[in-house]
Parts: sequence; C-alpha cells; structure tokens
Amino acid sequence: MTETGSGCNRRDLMRGAALFALVVGVPATIASLSDIDERERPTERQRMFAREVSQLVIPRTTTPGAGEIGVGDFLILALAHGLGGTDEPIERDALAGHAQSFRRLDGTLRFLPWLERELDRRAGGDWLRATPAIRAVHLAELDRETFPPGPPPKSPSPWQMIKGLIVTGYYTSETGAARELRYELVPGRFDPDLPLEPGARAWSSDWIAVEFG
Amino acid sequence: MMTDGTDFDAIVVGSGITGGWAAKELTEAGLKVLLLERGRKIEHQVDYATEMKAPWEMPFRGQGDAALYARDYPVQRLNRHFTEFTQGHFVNDRHNPYATAHGTDFTWFRSYQLGGRSLTWGRQCYRWSDYDFGANKLDGHGTDWPIRYADLAPWYDRVEEFIGVSGAEEGLPQLPDGRFQPPMALNVVERAMRERIAARWPDRLVTIGRTANLTAEKEGRGRCQNRNICARGCSYGAYFSTQSATLPAALKTGRLTLITDAVVETIDYDPKRRRATGVRWVDAGTGQRKQASARLIFLNAGAFNSVHLLLNSANEAMPHGLANASGILGTHIMDHANTLSAMAIVPGFDDRTSFGNRPTGIVIPRFRNLDRIDGEGFTRGYSFQGGALQANWTRGKREAGIGEDFKQRLRSVGPWQIVLVAFAESMPRASNRLSLSRTRTDRHGVPQLEIAFTHGKEEQAALADAKREAAAMLEAAGGHVVVGFDRPGPGGTAIHEMGGARMGRDPATSVLDQWSRTHDIANLFVTDGAQMASSACQNPSLTYMALTARACAHALDQLRAGAI
Repeated sequence: MTETGSGCNRRDLMRGAALFALVVGVPATIASLSDIDERERPTERQRMFAREVSQLVIPRTTTPGAGEIGVGDFLILALAHGLGGTDEPIERDALAGHAQSFRRLDGTLRFLPWLERELDRRAGGDWLRATPAIRAVHLAELDRETFPPGPPPKSPSPWQMIKGLIVTGYYTSETGAARELRYELVPGRFDPDLPLEPGARAWSSDWIAVEFG
Repeated sequence: MMTDGTDFDAIVVGSGITGGWAAKELTEAGLKVLLLERGRKIEHQVDYATEMKAPWEMPFRGQGDAALYARDYPVQRLNRHFTEFTQGHFVNDRHNPYATAHGTDFTWFRSYQLGGRSLTWGRQCYRWSDYDFGANKLDGHGTDWPIRYADLAPWYDRVEEFIGVSGAEEGLPQLPDGRFQPPMALNVVERAMRERIAARWPDRLVTIGRTANLTAEKEGRGRCQNRNICARGCSYGAYFSTQSATLPAALKTGRLTLITDAVVETIDYDPKRRRATGVRWVDAGTGQRKQASARLIFLNAGAFNSVHLLLNSANEAMPHGLANASGILGTHIMDHANTLSAMAIVPGFDDRTSFGNRPTGIVIPRFRNLDRIDGEGFTRGYSFQGGALQANWTRGKREAGIGEDFKQRLRSVGPWQIVLVAFAESMPRASNRLSLSRTRTDRHGVPQLEIAFTHGKEEQAALADAKREAAAMLEAAGGHVVVGFDRPGPGGTAIHEMGGARMGRDPATSVLDQWSRTHDIANLFVTDGAQMASSACQNPSLTYMALTARACAHALDQLRAGAI
C-alpha cells in the first residue's frame, strides 16, 4: 500500500526543521527546540567532528577542502533528513558490537554519535585532540576496513554512508562542482569523440555519469 | 462546427501526451474543444522553476529532502527522473493514493499537471511493426489487434513530422524507420560496440536512440542544447511536450478552452440515445462540482486513470462500468519487464572522451523470436537501451581512500562503462487487472483504483535470456561485465503501464474497436495507453500518439456524416 509514507513522524520532521535552522544560521523560530529529542541535536563537538572528518576526506589542494566550505554542516543536515539512505533501518547483526548502541528504536542509526565513538575509540581518547596526522591515520584505518579489497560488503557500513554524503556535499557545492571539477549547464552541442588530455578535469554536470557512474 | 445544443463539440480528458494530440487534432479540424486537466497549470518557459538551477542553489543540493520523500513521495522517488529539481512534476503519493491487491508490488509513476507525463517522459520513439501487431494472433495470448502496421504507418508519419524525432534509418523490419530529423551521434565506445557486435551477430544492431529531442529547429522550437535535464522542463522547447508543441497548436485555433485543476469523476451517459453526453468534475482547489456537455468525448487521462474513470462511471444501464458490456474493462494490463541486464567496464578508450549531455542512449532492437522462435520459454521479444558513459565523482561514494590522492582521483574522468537495460514484452493476462477498491476512497470520496499485477514466466524467461545475451555482447565489445540482473523491477518500473480497455475485433472480448472507439458507445473514444491489446517491447508513446491522431480523423468523419 502506498497510502502513507513510512519511517517519518512528526518528531523526525521537527528535528529536521530545527537542524536546518541551525545549519543555515536562521533563527529557529519555525520549530520549537523543546520539541526535539536532546540526544538528536548536534553538539558543537559533533559539528567540529563533521568539519574535521570532511576536511580529511577531501583536503585543500589547489581548491579548498570539504571542511572549510561547510560540508560538515551539509553532512549534519543530510543526516537529519535521511539523505543517502541514512533513513533506512539497519539490521542489528549488520552492525559491529559497539555500533548497536547507536541504533534507534526504528532501526535507523544515530550516525554522528557513532562516528564520535568510533574515532575516539581508535584514538584511545579524544580524537579531536590528536594531531592532524594522527587523526588522518585513524580515519584512513576506518576507511580501509570499510572498503576491503574484493567485492563490496553486502550492506554498507555507517562510514560508507557518511563518506558518501561528504563526497556528495563537496561535489555538489560550487567549489567542488565548478572549481575542482567543471560545470556546464548548457553545453549547446555534443562531441562524441575527443582526445582526453592528461589531467583534464571531469564534468560534474555529466548527469548520466552522476546517475550511473 | 456547430455544437448542436451542447457546451462543446468535444471534451478531452487529460492534457498529457495523447490528450494534447486530441486537442490539437480536433481544434485544428474546426471543433470547439474543452480540455480538462486534473493538475495545476504549468506554463511553458514561465513555470520551469528549477530549469537553470545548479545543485548548490537547491536546498538539498539536488538530492532532495529524503524525509519529505519518505512521507509524501515514497513511490515517485523511485522514478529515475525524480530529483529535487523535478519533484514538482510528480504527484504527492500521500494525496493521491491507490490500492494494490495482495501480492502486488506496483510503482505507479504519475504526473498530475498540465502536460502530464509529457513533461517527464523518456522521449524514446519507436514504431511498432507487424511482428508486434500480429503477435497476439500468432501465439494466442490476448486478443488479435484489429489493425496492422499499414493502418498506422501514415499516422506515424504525421506524428513524427510534427513532434520531431531524431534517429538513424536502419531498414529493420522489426523496428520500421520513421520520418527522422538527423540522428544524434554514437560516442566513440558505442561506435566500436556497434562494429564489434555486428561482426559477431549479423542480426544484431546497435543504433542511436530515436528520441523526441530536436536536432533541427522547428516551428517556434529550438534545437536540443545537450543538457539532458529534460524533466525539469525545457524553455528551448527542444523536446516534445504538450507545452512545447500540441498545446500552442490547439490554442492558436482560438477554439480551445482549457481548465486545469479539474478532476473528472464521471462521464454522463444517456441510455436512450446510447451516447456519452458530457463529463462531471470536481475543482481541486474549491471542491466545487461542475459539468459540461459535448457531442464527442475523448479519454486521455493516462491508461489506468481512463479505466478508473470508466469503472467509476457505472450507471443503471451499465452497472459494471461504462462501455463494459464485455466485462473486459480493467483486465489485461501490462508493463514491460524492466531490469539492468548488464553493466561492464570497457578498457582501451582511456584517451578518449566526449563533451555535452546527449539526451538519448543507444538501442539494440529486438532480435529474438522474429521469423523463428529462438527464445527459450518466451514467444515475444525484448530490446536493450543504454549507452556508454564515463564515470565521475559519484564513484567516490563506493571507493576506498581519503585525502589528496582520493581527491585527485575524483578530479579526473573515470573509466568507460556500458549499461544495457532490457525491456521485455509484457504478456496480456486477464489476472493482471484494475478494479475499484471496495474499502478505500480518495479525498473526494471516489473509490481508489486497485491494481493487481505480477510478471509471469514468459517475462522472467525473457529477462534471463536478456542477461545472458547482454553479457555476451558486452564481452564481445571488449568489456568486463561487473553486474547484471534478470529479475524485473516491480510492475510500473518501465513506466509503460498500458491496457485495461483493449482494442479488439469482437465487442464480446474487447472494449474498443479498431478506431479506439468504445464498442458500446459510438461517441466515446479512449486513445491513451488503455487501448493497447499487447505491449510489444518498444516504448509506447509514439504509438499512442499515432492511434490518437487516427482516432481523431475517424471521429471527425463520423461527426461530419452525422453518425455521432
């Protein structure tokens, strides 16, 4: 039956609205913060986590990195609204032991607290207080474990989903889409066979590649 | 033409691909026409609100608000063309419920707005051949079509010349050539694929998709800009839609009355004269009920909604639904069995690329069960659509790596890959049917449409064969197959839902005659997908349009002769 949607109740919507207000910096008058489950609101620490992690995934090169252009806050917004499949319930057995404690009653995961715990655990303390190099080592380790060589795991791990949102946040930003990559909304023509120069930047506006790539 | 005491000469219900055609043909012939559209007005160029937006200008970067989608668009969000940019061109599922029978999984993709799904369609245009029109008779499934290719060929000509279809002439009997604008080009990998597959299988052809995107300018419409974001709406008018083509033509006559937000509920019927006399609708904004009369009624509400309207128009004289003396109304619905048959990585072209977004892919026309039965477990056909593309940043969501190396990798164009998607013919089965829900109503109190639909053994066998053959062809083309499926998506996946008021020779076993007119009521025509007696494996919209134009000509003859 398609009469009603699933997995989204008033609480979810309020949470989303308040987070949106927080993230874009407008007064949260449209939503009453008291309606929101305290545990679901991002802490300042989680915002710093999201920023730092984003920056490590996509650092500054000749163009800015993900953290410095606000992808951390995009990640928070995206998670609050369940983008990238993060609103799907996850089977308890699909989660490593310590991750199970971040599972909500509806089976969805509290991704940010999970990420904090995961990296703090690897750091043996406060991951944010480790040196940048050490932070990168821990994140790279989590990433390697998430993407082992060979066929992809059956169900995506929490880190794969978070990383997916960071990548999405970056390459759909103006910096990522139009400075790091190339963006042309109105190509005006189709050239079926061109030489590909070494180092040529990809087109973020190749929508078929975005869909199937 | 005189209205003869009625409000209009003709009423057309629905402004999508076929409704627009009916309005154009009938007004151009001199009729005073009322065109009713259940959804909101979307004005060409003016109302394509997201057309020029970049992802970073959208609240959710073009990805959309998943929480909103879970609540209001749980079905529509599964549509390939549904994005944050296009969500305004799809229905809100919560406000537009439908029922499904036990065991049925059906994703019904709908666009309730002026222009209907002509704004969001895939634009692929393929003629049917006599392999298709003769299929039911040959293998005994369904009922024989009362027409053959020769009956429709001149109408295909007329439609293609008006809408503008780009494509390559290939001389295939199973996929007749049309009146084409210049074809779009195969890219470098597709060209190689065409050669390599032809070398191994002389009866298999890779050709460019035949698409209703202009490669040459046409009356008031610009040529395609190779953006490939058509479903947002195109201010260049470069793809065929009601807004870009048929509606302006109908309005130009000065004889069209267009009313939007008009949800038609029933068709009025006069049992003494055995004629449909008008329609009744509810204004979606105000809830007011209204009606109008006409000498001629055309149903173009979309296959399932036209059937819904007939079922809901039952009266004392026709207790099982209007024009349903046969009891066939609602039965034999179809939707192509559709799946990703193969995806392959293709090495050897890493120094080549393309520029621009071509709004069509390739097609590999049907090669099975043509002049001999060579399919195992199925008697009809399938064809592939797809294309070669180069991956881009989205591969980063699945790949290992963080940091500078990762960023540098995503900066460059990814490997070439080929995608082949199969469309297998859907068999007409009595058990796949539409009915009125006995327990559920919509917000206006009308019984919901209930869909019962499952794919059968033939479709499963066809997709199993398609998976094998797709893999073989992509390997022959030099690719390494990464993934492939042989299970069809849920019913509705192909967005080619059709049937329910099938055409046939015998009034006892069909709803419509050879002119798309109901056997039971001489002035009532159904010219959308509901009329289909079989599904072929081609995208069906071109055939609906040709049948509509043909039906209009017949209706006009009948009107002029005083027969209706």
